[in-house]
Amino acid sequence: MSLLRITHLPSGRLLSAILHHQRLLPSIIPLTVPKRAVIQGEYKRPGQPRKAKFPWKKINFNFSKGLEGIKKHFTLLKKEFTDRWVGPEGKPIVEHMLEQNRAVWEFRGPESLGEWTVSSDREIGGHSEAYLKLGRNNNTCFLYGTLSSTPPRDGETRYSGYCTMRSKQPLASFDRKKHHDWSSFNTLHLRVRGDGRPWMINISAETYFSHQKDDIYCYFLYTRGGPYWQDVKIPFSKFFLTHRGRIQDDQHPVWLDKVNTIGFTLGDKADGPFQLEIDFIGVCKDYAHTEEFAYEAYKRNPEV
Amino acid sequence: MNPYILAILLFGLGLGTTITFASSHWLLAWMGLEMNTLAIIPLMAQHHHPRAVEATTKYFLTQAAAAATLLFASITNAWLTGQWEIQQITHPLPTTMITLALALKIGLAPLHAWLPEVLQGLDLTTGLILSTWQKLAPFALILQIQPSNSTTLIILGLASTLIGGWGGLNQTQLRKILAYSSIAHLGWMILILQFSPSITLLTLLTYLIMTSSTFLVFKLNKATIINTLATSWAKAPALTALTPLILLSLGGLPPLTGFMPKWLILQELTKQGLAPTATLAALSALLSLYFYLRLSYTMTLTISPNSLLGTTPWRLPSTQLTYPLAISTAMTLCLLPLTPAISALLIP
Repeated sequence: MSLLRITHLPSGRLLSAILHHQRLLPSIIPLTVPKRAVIQGEYKRPGQPRKAKFPWKKINFNFSKGLEGIKKHFTLLKKEFTDRWVGPEGKPIVEHMLEQNRAVWEFRGPESLGEWTVSSDREIGGHSEAYLKLGRNNNTCFLYGTLSSTPPRDGETRYSGYCTMRSKQPLASFDRKKHHDWSSFNTLHLRVRGDGRPWMINISAETYFSHQKDDIYCYFLYTRGGPYWQDVKIPFSKFFLTHRGRIQDDQHPVWLDKVNTIGFTLGDKADGPFQLEIDFIGVCKDYAHTEEFAYEAYKRNPEV
Repeated sequence: MNPYILAILLFGLGLGTTITFASSHWLLAWMGLEMNTLAIIPLMAQHHHPRAVEATTKYFLTQAAAAATLLFASITNAWLTGQWEIQQITHPLPTTMITLALALKIGLAPLHAWLPEVLQGLDLTTGLILSTWQKLAPFALILQIQPSNSTTLIILGLASTLIGGWGGLNQTQLRKILAYSSIAHLGWMILILQFSPSITLLTLLTYLIMTSSTFLVFKLNKATIINTLATSWAKAPALTALTPLILLSLGGLPPLTGFMPKWLILQELTKQGLAPTATLAALSALLSLYFYLRLSYTMTLTISPNSLLGTTPWRLPSTQLTYPLAISTAMTLCLLPLTPAISALLIP
């Protein structure tokens, strides 16, 4: 609307004219769309029922759970203070120097499954399924499901069919972020039993600001099917850098002093059921492995 | 890095500090500080690693905030007193603001939180420049302003020594240990500032020499964590024998150079009637000494497990230049007997 017409509007319509700012000054402001969250509300995961509850009805006040939470957080805080007296990461310095292997994730009880997040392309509307349960004798974890590479019919997705299991970020007291410090180690050691499918191991380190948020260091895990367990040792120097799934030109080795999560992804375009059984995931220090980085860095004038 | 660009950046670093040294106008001093910040930013981010970029961003934000506060304080002073002389700043409000801005610049507690993370994200050479050269320009300004609020400086100083001591206690990353050691030393420097600025200058100079020595030792061993340092006996046995002495000098033990500033500071504080402050500072030095001793223990007093392959590197000569390390180590270990001469030079 032109400025002259605006001045003749009653004040109620003025407000709506501001909302439809496109019509106010069409030639100057390019076509803009307000944020999707404004029009449609927050992101809704496919399959979740739409909740139309008032905000005050969403509060779930449970006294005993609150007390448990307080106890848990204060115990963690006390442990943080007392661990400092012992040494780095709660271990004496001699033990820190001598440590050669560390089992970081061992699946020995139902609470160990709570450290992992399982997702598949159901989140974008696909048809794969993935579930996590404890294996036999509560000794291993068992990731199983079905992969389906039918793309969701939303008009913009062309490929689909992935399932992933990712560890949750370790948290200190009061839900503060903590990191895994694997700088004394140089190899990832897993004991898995798969079904012959090729998996990808993703390690995500701490990225604080903006554009590096989706930086993930990946390597392959080729499982051999069969009843025998497979010990996989992958040096951290072999992990290459990807960003949102694309391998980057400017490669660098993963810094192990602030590792956030590790994940396993399956996306091998083969529809059908899959299984992966993991006994433990650990890190070890291989003195014989002296390679710093397996790929060349993107240097325009390398020193030779 | 392209040698021309590297030359420009290093020249810019030198020029920035020199401008700040030579200036008597606040705007010129601020300009020198900004040049320093901008020149070191590409040096920090030259390895396009996410952590290096993160360290660069954090460094830039803190230094820019400090420079902006400095500019604001000097403008306030110009408004209140009508002049821009660095040594004539007398009004308490701009003086306090400038003290806090410069404290943020160098990493004094309670404005120290950026220093460990930033140093951790850098390689050892850039970390060396950050810990040594980048402290010179702000100190040139700190030494020239006459701080009027004694309590603020004492609190800043004591907080820095304590936080530097406690923070470094359970670190396994060497760069973070050096960051906390830097915070502790800066605390000692600020404690004595209002009584005897020349002792502050002496402490700064000895700290620069000791820290360069330590960084160069770590660079030679290519060590960034304690466990790597623990296998340095196989790479340079003579240096492994000397490094505990360097670390004890950092900790301030006689008969090494590091004792000199601590002795003079404690003496001056006691003369000024601040014996409890002196006691607290001396006790906090014990905390720092603990992690220096821990480094010495892991490096020299124990033999870390190593493969057979790792026991032979000492047979091959190193390709790194060891001349600066030799000079700074000699100065770190042997300057204490020269205390009378140095005090006569520096302390009027």
